[in-house]
Order: sequence, then structure tokens, then C-alpha cells
Amino acid sequence: MKKYLSLLLVLVMVFALCACASSKIDSEGPNGSAAEEAAAPEVTLNTVILKEADDSMINNYTLMAVNPDAPFVDADGNAVSDVQLNTVGAAALINWLLSEEGEAAAAEYGYAEYGEYLFYLKEDRPISTAEIPEATEETKLIRLSTTTSVNDSGLLGYLLPMFEEKYGYEVEVFSAGTGKAIANAKMGNADLILVHAKAQEEAFVEEGFAYVLDGMESERMTYMYNYFVLCGPQEDPAGVKDAEDVLTAFAAIADGKYPFVSRGDGSGTHTKELSLWPESLGITDDPTTFEAYTDWYTSANAGMGACLVMAEEMGAYILTDKATFLTFVANDGVMD
Amino acid sequence: MGSAIQKAIQLILTADRELVNILSTTARVSLTSSVIALLLGVPLGIWLGACRFRGRGALVVLNRTLMGMPPVVCGLLFYLLFSGVGPFRHLKLLFTVPIMILAQVVLITPIVIGNMETYAAELAPPLRETAKGLGFSGWKRFVLLVNECLYPIITVYLLAFARAIAEVGAVSMVGGAIAWKTNVMTTAIMQYTNRGNFSLGIALGLILMVLSLLVNIVLSVMQRRFHR
Repeated sequence: MKKYLSLLLVLVMVFALCACASSKIDSEGPNGSAAEEAAAPEVTLNTVILKEADDSMINNYTLMAVNPDAPFVDADGNAVSDVQLNTVGAAALINWLLSEEGEAAAAEYGYAEYGEYLFYLKEDRPISTAEIPEATEETKLIRLSTTTSVNDSGLLGYLLPMFEEKYGYEVEVFSAGTGKAIANAKMGNADLILVHAKAQEEAFVEEGFAYVLDGMESERMTYMYNYFVLCGPQEDPAGVKDAEDVLTAFAAIADGKYPFVSRGDGSGTHTKELSLWPESLGITDDPTTFEAYTDWYTSANAGMGACLVMAEEMGAYILTDKATFLTFVANDGVMD
Repeated sequence: MGSAIQKAIQLILTADRELVNILSTTARVSLTSSVIALLLGVPLGIWLGACRFRGRGALVVLNRTLMGMPPVVCGLLFYLLFSGVGPFRHLKLLFTVPIMILAQVVLITPIVIGNMETYAAELAPPLRETAKGLGFSGWKRFVLLVNECLYPIITVYLLAFARAIAEVGAVSMVGGAIAWKTNVMTTAIMQYTNRGNFSLGIALGLILMVLSLLVNIVLSVMQRRFHR
């Protein structure tokens, strides 16, 4: 027993030492966080928004219910017919998100925290007035596969508790890049998806993985949007700021071989970026297509936040969704 | 580093609700999987080390190969087996804690077997003589061997636990890092890193190390007692 106590004591002392050491460093060293905090208002990131609200930068978010009768196949390509999906729960969540209450909540999100709305409702959005059933034992658990940008912006953390409390459902959020989020649904592991890459969404519908909910017109329920923004160093060596539009801006970056950080992970942001390069470059998600450009084109294969840190370090240009960028700025570029 | 340590201490002191949830999931997964792996691996390892039979060499080589299985491959395998289109879809285990434990057991058991095999092979020959002299039967010999192995068993357990708590590839594949449900320390660190929040990642890493230290201290003290 004495041994335990003495060991614990040693541990506590180590802890105390750590705490002392860190606070000392903080008060003395220029790199300490106390010093950083004091100087926080003056700390400005070198990466700024250079191009935004351009029509070709619209970032549409689409809801889709996964079709229980979709042509699911297992890893060997054999058809699987009895994939179990919670269609009732998925319909309930979609109907709530598209209801007056759900849409209003999505539209107001972000203003309180960032002083800016992060998501806007589309004018031609589908609107639901369907009655939402209370959860039952079988329909309680809803699996939502979505993109990191929706989850990381905090939107789902804001919306879902309202829905869960009101109707008794439990929503499990699986968040990954759009490519992986869709692949996860194709493996029968999601009841609905919320993604932002038109081409991949259309392929998903084409293959029969989505279906039209009662009272809806299309498999793809595109209901909110925000903007991608092109960010880069303040000095803007490529002159992106004065470019006529985003496509010209991307062409200028490629022409001058200015460093550019790409997500490179099959996410919606990555898909969008690929569509903005001049066609003559031939950049796709296939690594061989940008092998010749690696002196300026960095395919990071990482999340948005990690890529932003990388761009800041490299003084590179980067395409990002605005919500994540605002969070990044609000946290002073969290890099320590 | 300074601010990361500060953040870690702040997180612990405020008993951040999400952190508490992540910690308890981590403890549940890594403790359960390492204990199950120990219960499976110790008898198998001793059997493999102490008994002489045909095909033993092949089994040892097979086990050593499994010891090097990349966690992410193990995770991918279980993801495919238990996903909505996989052969075990009716169990509805994907993205739950039990499947994370199962994947880790598969990952860790070979390590336990491999290490126990080494110890048992060393201890068995002299013990066999003693047992013969005492007239012990097969079962009693086994108990005697286990008793002799108590010290290495704890070392092996620590190894298994360390692998379980530090592992990220398998748990992120089969667990999906779902908040409040299957998010463990390592997957949370990955998430924060992806968001660019490196200091919070380091803070969680520090807490993880301290936890590991605590488990190691307790077990080391136990080990000393056994040795006397």
C-alpha cells in the first residue's frame, strides 16, 4: 500500500512540475501561449480570402435518402438484396431538415458565433410539410453519412439535437470526404447522405442508390448552399484578386506555377477544385495527371483544417469552403 | 508544447463532457480487448511453446506473420465483413464498440501468443523434468507452467494493452469515430489534426500517455509482488 501511495505522490509531483514548467515558459518565452494570447488581436494570418461569391464557386449541399432496393453489391461484386436500412428514420430526418423549422435553423446558423451566415437556403429548394412520425424502437437509430465540412462547421451539432429531442430519434454521424461518405452509403452503412459534389451525386442516383421520397420531385434534394473561397497569401503574387473570374485566377496560378495546396482526398472541395483548372492542364484525381506539376501543386490528402495550416506555412493558394476558413481564422490558425 | 500541456490540464480540470465520454470509450475498448486477447493468447502461446508436435513450426511462423498485420488492413477486413453488404450484416455490428473490441482482439492475440511462446519454450524443458520428478499429469504441468510464467504474463499484458490503446487504424475503420459512441482518443486526435487543431490533438495525446503511465505503474507494482 505504501508503495502505491509513494508512486502516486511521484506522479502528482511530475504533474505539478509540468504545470509549473509550462506556465513559466508561457510567461517568459516568446512562444508561450500566454504571450500569444496577449498578442492575439494583432496576430493576423497571412492567408486571406482573395476571391469569393463568384457564381462558379457556389457550393451546393444535397440530401439523398439511400434506396433500400438499390443494387448493392458486396466486396466481391455479388448482388446483396437484403440490406437493412432505416428508411422511415431517414425520411423523418429529411422531412424535418426541409421543414420550415429545420430550414430556418440552418439559415440562422453561424451568425451568433462568426457574425456571418454560413449557409444560405436555395430559392428553388424542396420544402416539406409532411408529418414527422415519432421514433419507435425499430426506427430510432438513423445513420447519416456526411462530409467533414458540414460536420466541422458545427452545423449538424446545432441542428440534430433539436430534431432528436423533439421526435426521440438518435442520429449517428459518420463524417468523411464526400467520396468516402458516398462509398460508405454504397456499402449499406448509411440511411441518408448529405454531400456536396454534383457529379458524384448524379452518379449515385444514376446507379440507383437514391430514391424519390414521397412528396419530393427528385432524388437529389439540394436545399442549401454557401460559397467556396479561393484563399492565398496577402501579397497575392498571382494577382488572383484582380482576376476577372475564378477560372482566370486558377489559370494565373497554374501559369506562374505558384504553390497550391489541394485536398487530394476525393472530397467535395477537391472535386470542385479539379473543375476549376484550365482543361489543358488535364488535372484529375488520378495522381499521374499532376505528376509533372508537383513543383507547385501539392496533393495533401488531408482534411480542410490541416490543408489550411499547410497553405499558411507554404504561402500557398488553396480552395476552401468558407465555413471552415472562418473557423480557422477565429482560432488564429491553430498551429502551435 | 507549453500551451498543449496547459490545454490538457484545463480539459481534465473542467472534466469536459466529450473528453470524459472519449476516455470511457477508450478504456472500455482497450481494456476489454487486451484482457480477451490475454485469455485467448496465454494458453495458446504456452501450448505452442511447451508442446512438441508436427506442424508446430508452421504455426509459429503463421502467428509471427499475423503479429505484423497492419491495423488498417485488419480494420478494412472487418469493415467489409460487417458492413451493410457484408456477410455478417445481420449482426448490425459495424460502427459499434463490440466490433472495435473484436478487431483489436484479432490484432493483439497473435502478439500475446508470440511472446508467451518465446517464454514458454524457454521455461518448459527444465519444468518438464521437475514435473516428471513430482509425477505431475499434463493438466497439472500446465498449471505449474502458468504459475512460473506470471511475471512475463504481466509484461505481455502491458504490451497488449499498449498496442490496444495506441492503435488507430482498425478502430477508425470499424468504429467510424462517431461522436458520443465510438470515438476514442486516437481517432479524436486524428479528427482534430484533420481540422488543423494540432494543439488540442497534442493535449489529448498527453492525456493518453498519462493514462498509459497509470496503468503501467499499477501493473508494475503487481508484477513486483508476484516476483517475490
